[in-house]
Amino acid sequence: MRLALFVTCLVDLMRPSIGFAALRLLEAAGCDVVVPSTQTCCGQPGYNAGDRAAAAALARKVIGEFDGCDAVVAPSGSCAAMIRVHYPALFDDDPTMRAAAERVAGRTYELTDFLVNVAPLQTIPGRYDGTLTYHDSCAGLRELGVQAQPRALLARMPGVVITEMRESTTCCGFGGTFSVKFGDLSAHMADNKCAHIAQTGAAAIVAGDLGCLLNIEGRLRRRGDLHTRVWHIAEVLAGDDGVCR
Amino acid sequence: MQVTALQFKRRAAENLRDENLQRALARLQTKFVNGRAAAIAELPDYGSIRDAAAEIRDRVLRDLDGYLRRFEQQATARGAVVHWAESAADVNRIVADIAAQHGVRRIVKAKSMVSEECGLDDALAARGLDVIETDLGEYILQLAHEPPSHIVAPVVHKSKEDVADLFAAAHHRPRTTEIRGLCREAREVLRPRFLAADMGITGANFLVAETGSVVLVTNEGNGRLCTTLPRVHVAVTGIEKVVATLEDTTTLLRLLPRAATGQSITNYVSLLTGIKGEDEGDGPEHFHIVLLDNGRSRLLGTELQPMLRCIRCGACMNHCPVYQGIGGHAYGWVYPGPMGAVLTPAFVGLEDTLDLPHASTLCGECAEVCPVKIPLPDLLRHLRQQQVERHLRPWSERAALRAWAWLARHPALYATGARVVARALHLFAGRKGRLRYLPGVSGWTHERDLPAPAGRTFRDLYRAGRRR
Amino acid sequence: MSARETILARIARARGAGAAPENAEERIRRHPRGPTPRSGDDPLRRFREQAVGLRSDVAGAAALAEVPEGVAGYLRERQLPMQAVSWPALLALDWRAAGLDAQARAACGDDAVGITGAFAAIAETGTLMLLSGPHTPATVSLLPETHIAVVERARIVATMEEAWDRLRAEHAALPRAVTFISGPSRTADIEQTITLGAHGPYRVFIIVVDDGPTSAGRPSAAV
Repeated sequence: MRLALFVTCLVDLMRPSIGFAALRLLEAAGCDVVVPSTQTCCGQPGYNAGDRAAAAALARKVIGEFDGCDAVVAPSGSCAAMIRVHYPALFDDDPTMRAAAERVAGRTYELTDFLVNVAPLQTIPGRYDGTLTYHDSCAGLRELGVQAQPRALLARMPGVVITEMRESTTCCGFGGTFSVKFGDLSAHMADNKCAHIAQTGAAAIVAGDLGCLLNIEGRLRRRGDLHTRVWHIAEVLAGDDGVCR
Repeated sequence: MQVTALQFKRRAAENLRDENLQRALARLQTKFVNGRAAAIAELPDYGSIRDAAAEIRDRVLRDLDGYLRRFEQQATARGAVVHWAESAADVNRIVADIAAQHGVRRIVKAKSMVSEECGLDDALAARGLDVIETDLGEYILQLAHEPPSHIVAPVVHKSKEDVADLFAAAHHRPRTTEIRGLCREAREVLRPRFLAADMGITGANFLVAETGSVVLVTNEGNGRLCTTLPRVHVAVTGIEKVVATLEDTTTLLRLLPRAATGQSITNYVSLLTGIKGEDEGDGPEHFHIVLLDNGRSRLLGTELQPMLRCIRCGACMNHCPVYQGIGGHAYGWVYPGPMGAVLTPAFVGLEDTLDLPHASTLCGECAEVCPVKIPLPDLLRHLRQQQVERHLRPWSERAALRAWAWLARHPALYATGARVVARALHLFAGRKGRLRYLPGVSGWTHERDLPAPAGRTFRDLYRAGRRR
Repeated sequence: MSARETILARIARARGAGAAPENAEERIRRHPRGPTPRSGDDPLRRFREQAVGLRSDVAGAAALAEVPEGVAGYLRERQLPMQAVSWPALLALDWRAAGLDAQARAACGDDAVGITGAFAAIAETGTLMLLSGPHTPATVSLLPETHIAVVERARIVATMEEAWDRLRAEHAALPRAVTFISGPSRTADIEQTITLGAHGPYRVFIIVVDDGPTSAGRPSAAV
């Protein structure tokens, strides 16, 4: 299967290791992976801010870059959902683009969903010994149904002990620009999430969206918690190169 | 009721720091959220009942005028008088005129959000009428001169100590903070008012087109008292409350109490049709039903139409992490939480409610728990779009978004920009690997660190040959 | 144009050229049911479970004649007054023998106990269904602190849908008020703490009678 990796703007800028972990996992699952070189952003920030025109313009670009692969995989529920769920409706007035959008949308997957339901990854390359707790990012959960998949993959790692937190499906408060525009509200929600994480006593918090992870890590550290590790699920599953210490 | 939604940010900030309020809001979690979950779990067919409920509401909305005409015809045939009101002011005028027409002096009132929307109590008081709220929560609010902070649990923001203070001042009895004692006190104080009232005002949870009936769901018994003893009953409600049949009402009743409070059914459900017969001892001699538009019909045929399905259960706000953090008063009008963030701009106007559709991460919990499947995040996003189209967003915000979108469409420039930012932030963060402060994003850094970027972008590393 | 015309016109315009509305009259005439939860085989058992869960007190009686003793026992146990107002249909029972002073009239503010029948009872939620009428004063189940309801077992139905069908079959016109009662009045407005006894009764005692007038062909108690 020939697929294209949608790296996401946050992974590109902030934590490339997630992108490389995703590459490794997809290859371990037997896929040929290309990384379209001109990719930048899925357009969600503009879309959620109400700038439909800007979102459509970016969507056009993405569709042009990713049309023609068997699948598009993103290590992010929110970016995958943007493409899969929201792209087609951006072109209600343009039948050709709409068809292309539907084509790309129909082949776009969040990483863990892909590794469970499309190109199943039976042997997990990474190694992790210890406890962790999993945060269900909103878009992946509610727009794409991602919940069992990451847990199924983690369950195949013998050293992993998952301790579920209370309210794992409650929003962490990131919400893109919400985290800055309504900073105190956002931090309050992040603080609740950190409290639930602390209650589990887990050594690490893991999630499938870097936005959530940056938000949670930022609040953890400001709260004085320097010991709870913060990992993207791709990093845990891929392991390697001492990434998950 | 006056709109103060432009105060949202300020009020939200205050409420986040209000420990009493935070404690009170935590109770919503344990009671209503857990209650709903347990009650829904008891319905093995929940999914299909919910689908049916959404269709029941949509069906009426597709032919709202037809069903309203039918309701009016049936209600009138049973001796009710149906009035139509375009605006809040019209409702107030109509109800005051009804009171005058029937020589009414003393009014008892059951809970009605529509009456809050209209500011009906104040309008009637201004005409010299004695209006007392009888729903315990609304009675407490009346004593406190405050608006409700939740559509089902209006005084969720108050502690029993707050209530004890209000009662002690108003009833001239020894102060008690014992909840049962407070409830009994309210019963004793309000009972004579029921018995002496000329007119009862209620809302309507549903209007049944088949029979011309008003449906009221209550727990306290005040709704029954308001509609049994006084000689005049006035029901005020929105035009969108119509349902087709008794069976449709029952389907909705399976979900409304469960979604709202976790009850399988409210203590009382009253189906009220027309005036009392000649040989009947109780019931009103006059029954007036006031149908309010106030912007509802303008939502039909627009992307916001699904909002009219709402059956006012409050589940959305109970589950909303934003509402859970700040409570209802921050939203600045009658309807708080996710449904309020849609209805307030829709009814009152975008200009006066700029923050409301944006004060959300679009997490989708509200839509998940809505018993009639209203796609609230999509509606909030639609309102955000409308703000952009009408140039209501701050210039700086528009410019930043445009700049981002432009840059993202120019990959070479984007790559350079990203390279520079990644490097710079990585260096500023130093050994600690995080920044405590960054100009321009103080909303983030005020209470959170910003983890530093790795220093090189994925693009650059991949181009340089890294693959794992 | 009146407000009525303006509003209806605006609604019709909004519908515009869209799909022609489904025939409302037709649907109302058919009044199809929505998805109805499957009920168990034993409506009495389900009714009892649900009613007790909602804090009603429930007892059984083989025949109407046993009711006065059952009521008297209930009131004595709780040291409640042995005086009641009643629906006329139930006055004929031998209250005096049980030590109870019962009068058939509407309730007033001072009455402590009210005794009614019920048109039907709904097993799904442990709910009583009462109809208004000249012989079924609403105040009797509303004003007193104690509400006693005598329900015929044969009139316990599984769901509210079945209750509507019975109502349509047995009454030519809908009564002015159909009231569904599911336990003592309550409120949770103060600190979301449920308190029984708000403006309506503090307690509801339901006596399910195996053998009642309806089964004997006389509809008097089933009102």
